[in-house]
Amino acid sequence: MAVIPTLVRKDIANFLRNRAAVSLTFVVPIVLIYIFGWVFGLNQKDTGPTGIRLAVVNASPNPAAQKLVDALRAEKAFRVVTTFDNPDRTTRPLTEADLRPLIRDGRFRFAVVIPADVVRTDDIGLHLQILSDPRNDIEAQTVNGLLQKAIFSNVPELLGQSLQARAKQFLGDGRFNQFNRGIANSVATAFGGDPAQIQRTIESGSLGLDRITRPAKPADPTLRRLDNAPAAAPTPGTPAAAKPVPATAADFFSRLVKIDQEQVVGKNVQSPAATRLVGGWAIMFLLFAVSGGAAAFFDEENAGVFQRILSAPVSRAQLLWSRFLYGVLLGLVQLLTMFLAGHLMYGIDVFGHLGNLIAVSVFAAAACSSFGMLIAALAPNATAASGLSTLLVMVMSATGGAWFPMSFMPEFMQTIGKFTLVYWSMEGFQQVLWAERSFVELLPILGILAGITLAVMTVAIWRLNKKSIFA
Amino acid sequence: MLSLRSVTKRYGALTALDGVSLDIARGEFFGLLGPNGAGKSTLMSLAAGLRPPDAGVLTLDGVAVTPSDPATRTALGLVPQSLALYDELSALQNLQVFGRLYGLHGGVLRERIDEALAAVGLTDRRRDQVKTYSGGMKRRLNLVAALLHRPKLLLCDEPTVGIDPQSRNAIFDYLEARNRAGLTIIYSTHYMEEATRLCSRIAIIDHGRIHALGTLDELLTRLPFEEEIGFPAIPATAALAAELGAQGTLTTLDGRHRFEPRADFPLSAFYARTEAHGLAPRLFTAARPTLEAVFLHLTGRNLRE
Repeated sequence: MAVIPTLVRKDIANFLRNRAAVSLTFVVPIVLIYIFGWVFGLNQKDTGPTGIRLAVVNASPNPAAQKLVDALRAEKAFRVVTTFDNPDRTTRPLTEADLRPLIRDGRFRFAVVIPADVVRTDDIGLHLQILSDPRNDIEAQTVNGLLQKAIFSNVPELLGQSLQARAKQFLGDGRFNQFNRGIANSVATAFGGDPAQIQRTIESGSLGLDRITRPAKPADPTLRRLDNAPAAAPTPGTPAAAKPVPATAADFFSRLVKIDQEQVVGKNVQSPAATRLVGGWAIMFLLFAVSGGAAAFFDEENAGVFQRILSAPVSRAQLLWSRFLYGVLLGLVQLLTMFLAGHLMYGIDVFGHLGNLIAVSVFAAAACSSFGMLIAALAPNATAASGLSTLLVMVMSATGGAWFPMSFMPEFMQTIGKFTLVYWSMEGFQQVLWAERSFVELLPILGILAGITLAVMTVAIWRLNKKSIFA
Repeated sequence: MLSLRSVTKRYGALTALDGVSLDIARGEFFGLLGPNGAGKSTLMSLAAGLRPPDAGVLTLDGVAVTPSDPATRTALGLVPQSLALYDELSALQNLQVFGRLYGLHGGVLRERIDEALAAVGLTDRRRDQVKTYSGGMKRRLNLVAALLHRPKLLLCDEPTVGIDPQSRNAIFDYLEARNRAGLTIIYSTHYMEEATRLCSRIAIIDHGRIHALGTLDELLTRLPFEEEIGFPAIPATAALAAELGAQGTLTTLDGRHRFEPRADFPLSAFYARTEAHGLAPRLFTAARPTLEAVFLHLTGRNLRE
């Protein structure tokens, strides 16, 4: 029977002629697999986030505190910043007073404070502080784990000093020296060595406690939580929530190392998890909607409707800008509907920020609408427009942070992500719903979205005017 | 009314219109006849102001028609070759959209829409989605959508493609009535019978040039013969057919020969040959040549596209 092979050959030939179908079948999955590969470390030796800006204030003169700072610098997840750039381009060391405004401004999402009295004489243990803007739950939990790992791996020396100081206060100088000398002599007798050297080592706090706190092997970053009192309850369904942290020797240290966690931004948000996610989802679905509008552009072209419209007293510019405006209106209604649904289903505080939310929605919708126009301008037909938009929407959503934290991607992809309208739209929604910014504070982001819209529309209109789409 | 002076339009290496000059008077029903790819639709799009010419000038009542000046377009209506309608909308909604583009509102727009729908027999289906219409209904709606604003000049680009004879006749009747009422119409087609029935003057266009221009009678004078002679393709006529090949154009279709004699081959000589072959006169028919003969004579018989 030659019929079935003939029909199969026909389907294959049709498929191969359809470049959009071919790209959707092969190119889109490969591009997304590549991006996910970076995120989940499939093509890297070392997994986990990279390039997270971490402000560190070290007010302690203790050399061991500086070691802790160095350890944080060595952590690839962090880009440690310890200085403040003055307007006159000079720099000075960061202070604790700088941190909260900088975090509120979005310059940092995490900061560590090592106070001057990190080793206290009036108490056993250490005192550190972590400030955060946990706008992304997965990222916040991961960073918390990494910070605590770094701290617990490097504080034993400080902890030893704390124990020494406390013992000195309790015993008095004479008996303290006598106690340490006794231990040093015993160690020297049992294991060899110079008793004076051993005593100096003991007095420096190097008691070998790091052997207890050092993990046997690197663990999954999301499971490196050693603190029993996280700042925010883990989101249900996340790895940290799914698996309880095993009780280890570190639990003992977590009681000796007191880490004050302070959430600087978003602490009043009623529904943190939903508030974090809704912006990314909303903008992704809006992009799919305006992409559908781009395909409809070709339907009108094929039907000859553009010819009819342009034979009326209507200019091309009016036709294009009306299509853009339609996209903005559709986008605005869709975004607000999704936020309203978020309010009804998850209690997202929409009405408390309605004015600013509408403002960001208008600008985000405008940027998305211009993206739809660009797709119509670049694609040769509706099928190609559909394929191209699917590819771009998914890549922009992935790199722009709509699916997972950008810090999980390599830094070059994070940089690329910041050129996407998904990133800036999400940033706008976060600033409104999470950081509760005023309209004036939103102006820079609105300006960036307006700039993206203008640039994309300029290219789109230029391309559309060069195409024979209108006649 | 519409004047083209040395109009040229190129698409890359292809010259779609090559120095076309043409004057169409007010009230004319002007036919634009040509094979596929001859330049008809390009001429229409230039006349509608959708594209600028690369060289030459188009004027409508003395005012240049250009894409950058939409104002002149209130005087013209375009019936595109494709069904330029919104399928998801009703006929009423479609006409409201297109009417408003020409500044029609309120009672005037309602009145014009009612008139238009009644004229093409769509009043009862006015609120139905266009996608539920037959091809003929869509074609009729496609036509009246271009006339709501009562233009002075109507550009019809092959407006009857793919429809049934009833709808075609309805469209012809409507256009003829509007033409009698003073509407100037430029009608692009490659259907000879449409041009023969409708057009007072016809231009035959091919390869971007006007090859002939005039009334049907004037175009027929362009033929080198006065009558076409038909006879059956049977063994008895085979010898005659062989001789006639050298005296004009002989074509054979569906068992019949059609002979178009050369200008210098008199009909008397033809009939003398039939007698010499002993063929009865009843086997032969003589007819006035058609527009199709002119068209094929000027544009050739080679397949296009």
